[in-house]
Amino acid sequence: MILTLPEQLPLPNVLANKKFRSTTTSQFSEKIMVALLAMCSLLTIATSLAIVFMLVKESWNFFSSSHVSFTEFLFGTRWTALTERDISRVDFGIWPLLSGTIRVTSIAMLIALPLGLMTAIYLSEFASPKIRAILKPILEILAGIPTVVLGYFAILLISPALQVISPTFDTFNATSAGIAVGILCLPMVCSLSEDALSAVPRSLREGVYGLGGTRLDTSIKVVMPAALSGIISAFLLAFSRAIGETMVVALAAGTAANFSFDPRLQSQTMTGFIVDMMKSELEYGTVQYYSLFGVAITLFVITFAMTVLGQLIRRRYRESY
Amino acid sequence: MNSSQDPAPPVLVNIDSQAEQALAKQRQFKSYLFNLLCLMIAMLSVVVLVVLLASIGFKGFSSIDQTFLTQSHDPQDPEKAGMYPSIVGSLLVCLLCALTALPIGIGSAIYLEEFRPRHPILRAIHGFLQLNISNLAGVPSIVYGLLGLTVFVYMFQLFGKLEQNKVSGLDFWGVRRYYQLLSLDRSSTVLIPLTDPQQTTIKVTGPTTGFDSNERAIEILVWDRDQPKPTDPAVLARTVKRNAIGGLLELRAWYYFRLPLGSSFLAAGLTLALVILPIIVISSQEALRAVPSSLREASLGLGSTQWQTVRGVTLPAALPGVLTGAILAMGRAIGEAAPIFVVLGGGIAKRSGPENLMDTCVTMPILIFGWAKNPVERYQQLAAGAIIVLLIMLLLMNSVAIYLRQRMHQFSG
Repeated sequence: MILTLPEQLPLPNVLANKKFRSTTTSQFSEKIMVALLAMCSLLTIATSLAIVFMLVKESWNFFSSSHVSFTEFLFGTRWTALTERDISRVDFGIWPLLSGTIRVTSIAMLIALPLGLMTAIYLSEFASPKIRAILKPILEILAGIPTVVLGYFAILLISPALQVISPTFDTFNATSAGIAVGILCLPMVCSLSEDALSAVPRSLREGVYGLGGTRLDTSIKVVMPAALSGIISAFLLAFSRAIGETMVVALAAGTAANFSFDPRLQSQTMTGFIVDMMKSELEYGTVQYYSLFGVAITLFVITFAMTVLGQLIRRRYRESY
Repeated sequence: MNSSQDPAPPVLVNIDSQAEQALAKQRQFKSYLFNLLCLMIAMLSVVVLVVLLASIGFKGFSSIDQTFLTQSHDPQDPEKAGMYPSIVGSLLVCLLCALTALPIGIGSAIYLEEFRPRHPILRAIHGFLQLNISNLAGVPSIVYGLLGLTVFVYMFQLFGKLEQNKVSGLDFWGVRRYYQLLSLDRSSTVLIPLTDPQQTTIKVTGPTTGFDSNERAIEILVWDRDQPKPTDPAVLARTVKRNAIGGLLELRAWYYFRLPLGSSFLAAGLTLALVILPIIVISSQEALRAVPSSLREASLGLGSTQWQTVRGVTLPAALPGVLTGAILAMGRAIGEAAPIFVVLGGGIAKRSGPENLMDTCVTMPILIFGWAKNPVERYQQLAAGAIIVLLIMLLLMNSVAIYLRQRMHQFSG
């Protein structure tokens, strides 16, 4: 059974008149395109490297200055880079700024984490499709509101409301900024936690219902523990977002760098300081100017640690079904 | 063999059905209460949104009129202040941002999703790329601002320092420099070409050649104090006093380009592009992942190369999703203030949109920030008005995104 091909058979018309592209050309253009696309993604690596290089190089100008000691920076409780003109008397201790950030961020987290999580539980376990169809877009709108708008909202409504409740609040205070940052983080916590909750397979829920559990039992005792890694990583991402939030605190938290944990006081945060420094007329090249980068590298290290930790938790402790 | 005399287990015998029922009811009631609590908390975000929009709308509604949309910031009279330059500025910055971030972002998303390498080392690099993008998305936007400041605005001072009223930096094209002098008729100026970039002023000691204010070549005459003034207005317009001192004038075409970029809208747009790049990559990746692999396999089975598959099959199928993500990212970009504030310095006094590539600009969030910081009540109202305009623009962009998403559902369903 040897199959011989008829040799003189002409090609069918369709194929004879067709101009075939050369495979070599396609493969060549394929290679060029892959190289181009790879270059696009290498650009993201270049961005990361540039961020690290920029922060290290410029903050080196700060830390190597004779007016700055690294231990004072890490443990000092006075920060007078903007208030003191005489460079020999300026104190560079990060704690006033750090305490401002901690105050604002804790208040924000007190609001965003429980409320965001409860909303997520409601959306994934209780809500009827109709309510979901209303709530989801509203949360998306809330997530899309620019931060400067929330900052304005904080000074327009939240601060006066707080002063009505208790006159001991400063006009600019950590609480009003914290509440606004909390509103900002809430949709983020909610959507990330909801993703984690809805990734829990249906069979687990049905198992609980089969054993006679109520919806409360299902959501609190089974679904939430199963989604815990996702929820914690959502919390960490929101935390890192709140620490890096800038415009709200620049508008509503005030400009005095107090070392205190009283949420009623003015509190300049790390990001708030960067904005105030950009507004001041300090020259490029002074030690005060470079202190900007000392603060920025601290901010970067903290948020970077949070993000990495969040991803590690999500990857390592993910329950796979 | 079924022994009907077998006793039931004690747990089932000793059941008090009434107590059990009461317990079950209690548990159901608890669950119901929890449901209500969750509903109330979920509704809280609706309340917050409504209060936010209502308070800002109430405050800013009165300030929106024609003046507001066509004028620029006025530091003296808030009644005459407007936001026109900031609207133009925001749109241009966003356009630049889209032109740079979209191709690069979608390109790297395609590379990460569609060209997964097989070699273990390359795969490790691939995983690192992915991790790096998630980390970039978590970097605070103000750090991007500082990156823009050192890389775009100052360029590590590789090209020298930019200074006011001096020739500095490295020019490429689109600029002509002159010394500008007031002529004798007091309303027009004459220009003398700049010869020495270090010398920013000139003292005119004798007749020379130069240009009039429309850059037509003329002979420049010199008048001494003790001589009679020429009477012909045309001569008067090209005559200057002896020893008159002229300052530097730069005439920039719209395509003027120089390094470092300085506090220009080009620097602002590029910085913003870096901010939204990870967002675009992640959302495009999700859109590409949602394309069923059967489509790709069919295309590859027909003999297409991988790139032909991407171009002809995968990318068109994922396009609505990619565009939705892109529009949402642009919404983020148009509302982003911190990085632009760091790059441009937060000045809001500019009277027009950017006039050349190296011109500074005002964007809407920066203007809102500037007005909101001003304690004068009327500026606060203006800030609320500007917020309304910004939110309306965002709403328009988001409705396009929602429309595209609906189209996408039709496509996949």
